[in-house]
Amino acid sequence: MLKLDFLAQRVSHTIWQYVLAVVSVGVALVVTNSLERYTTLRTPFFFLAIILSAWFGRMGPGLLAVGLSTLAVDYYFAPTASGSGSGVDGRPFILLFSLSGLIACWISVQRRRAEEALKRVRDELETRVEEQTSDLRRASEGLKAEIAERKRGEDVLRERANLLDLTHDTVFVRDANNVITFWNSGAERLYGWTREEAVGQVSHHLMQTIFPAPLEKIMLELNSTGRWEGELIQAQRDGTQVVVASRWALQLDELGKPIAVLETNNDITERKRSEESLHKAQTELAHVTRVATLGEMTASIAHEVNQPLGAVVNNASACLRWLAGQPPNLEEARKSAALIIADSHRASEIIGRIRALAKKAPPRKEWLDINETILEVIALARSEAQGNRIALQTQLSDDLPLIRGDRIQLQQVILNLIINAIEAMNGVAEGPRELKVGSGKDDSQGVRVAVRDSGPGLDLESLDHLFTAFYTTKPQGMGMGLAISRSIIEAHGGRLWATANEHRGATFQFTLPAGGERMS
Amino acid sequence: MTEADAIVFVVDDDEGMRQSLKNLIGSVGLRVEAFASAQEFLRSKLTDVPGCLVLDVRLPGLSGLDLQKRMAEAGIEIPIIFITGHGDIPMTVQAMKAGAVEFLTKPFRDQDLLDAIQQALEHDRKTREQRAEIEKLRSRLDSLTPREREVMGLVVAGLLNKQIAGELGTSETTIKIHRHQVMEKMGAGSLAELVRMADRLGIPTPK
Repeated sequence: MLKLDFLAQRVSHTIWQYVLAVVSVGVALVVTNSLERYTTLRTPFFFLAIILSAWFGRMGPGLLAVGLSTLAVDYYFAPTASGSGSGVDGRPFILLFSLSGLIACWISVQRRRAEEALKRVRDELETRVEEQTSDLRRASEGLKAEIAERKRGEDVLRERANLLDLTHDTVFVRDANNVITFWNSGAERLYGWTREEAVGQVSHHLMQTIFPAPLEKIMLELNSTGRWEGELIQAQRDGTQVVVASRWALQLDELGKPIAVLETNNDITERKRSEESLHKAQTELAHVTRVATLGEMTASIAHEVNQPLGAVVNNASACLRWLAGQPPNLEEARKSAALIIADSHRASEIIGRIRALAKKAPPRKEWLDINETILEVIALARSEAQGNRIALQTQLSDDLPLIRGDRIQLQQVILNLIINAIEAMNGVAEGPRELKVGSGKDDSQGVRVAVRDSGPGLDLESLDHLFTAFYTTKPQGMGMGLAISRSIIEAHGGRLWATANEHRGATFQFTLPAGGERMS
Repeated sequence: MTEADAIVFVVDDDEGMRQSLKNLIGSVGLRVEAFASAQEFLRSKLTDVPGCLVLDVRLPGLSGLDLQKRMAEAGIEIPIIFITGHGDIPMTVQAMKAGAVEFLTKPFRDQDLLDAIQQALEHDRKTREQRAEIEKLRSRLDSLTPREREVMGLVVAGLLNKQIAGELGTSETTIKIHRHQVMEKMGAGSLAELVRMADRLGIPTPK
């Protein structure tokens, strides 16, 4: 139906175009005819009709108008012999007129076509621009939605970061190269660097972290289990050292490659300090108790010995009195002398008993885990090491037998070796200051404890005298420490010796038999 | 100054010391009885003669200071000489406040102990004499009739016979007889002696 309508419309439109051609020529004829009295020009209105017809009806109506105009001009206005009687031939005029009409028609049609093509092109362009505009609009809306989505994501992240800021703990994140990427307010408070200052720095360098074990070993554990926990010593902005309980968690990407480490640290410096002082107090108490015990023992020894001595004095006095009597009572004097002898024997027996007791008493035997014994000393020595900027590390073997010995005496030996090492390293200006305390099994299934420093080491001459009493290299040293240490270790059935390290420093080590069977 | 009728008691847990003390005290002619513990001493029957106690402070069970307290509670008035291996000041003060005669630290000089013993025995002897005297006066006082005791009270208060007669509502002659009886029964040779006796017996006399 639509097609039919369209066709009908088209046909009527064409008809009207032809009608317009006929009418316009007719109008031109009438106008020209009516103007005949005023002008001799006969053609302009016909040209106008041709141009109009060609413009609105294209070639067909145009040609029709040319034909009709030629006929009309030829019939009414061409200068003919018959018409005007001038004897002029009208045929060239008509020919010229129709030719001009054809040219006008053609130009008009071409002009119209060019106009229409131009219009079409313009329309197409407009459509295309519109299409592209709507495409652009769509794209921009999509972009807007994406931006909003991202913003939501960022908000969530920011909220989480804010949550991390709320915690009292120190939390920071570092990437695979240990460069800090996140730094919470707890970290700002503890270390003193602001977020802007810290982010982008290499964390271990910034805080001069001292690790309890070699970093490679720690990283190995972190990479295999995803976690690590331990105590670190780190420097604050002003250089003050803090001890922190550190927990590391490893973040992996989709491929399982480590991309970041979340480090949560708690400042335990105060706790450590009070623990140390508590332990110090305990150790001191243990010493005091032993001294007090000794004091009590002395008092009881004095009392024990005093009794027979008092008896001797009394009996001797009595003896003199019996002899001074008139007459002297020899029998009683003799009895007194016998009592004096008995009392003297009793006194010497008591002395003998005490001597036997003293011989047996120290060292006091108890079952000891050597690692525990070492760690207790380390807790005491750590502040000393920190104060001297020395990294104190332990390498303790797990499967060690228990030993039998005097805990306080052995701790005195270990502490003495550690303090010696610290003092030795104080004399060295350059190079790393490392102190390693290790435990392990010795060749005969006992335990071996080694204290290794990076100090100036030992020369051959001092190696010879090291353990001799009153030999010292220290300005305010007594030269007794190592001599006493060696005698303690030997009393426990072990050995204490020193060796120079291959590169730098010295190692002092001692052995103790398992179970202490050889202990004297 | 040896006295056969005095006894020195020794309490010390150390046998050697106990033996030597017995020997030393015996060498000056004194009788000695020795015990190894406070309980043993308390169980023994004490002879009623002048005596003193040489007591070790540190004893198993009841200590020397405990024994001192017990004796005071039981009314046993034997002077005590403390001996100790190591005495401190508070312990000494406590012992002396509770009436100890001496506090000696072992080993002590024999003369110090023997002097302390003599002093203690002297002290005990005097105490005993005084106690015996009062006992005697009290029994004499008990032998007076009520009327005689009344008269005696007024006599030692310093009243004249006439005044006493007026006070008791009787004749001066009767009072004279009563007064004579009182002097006789109390064994007083003079008024002054009677007043001294009344004073020791706790009967009020004008100062």
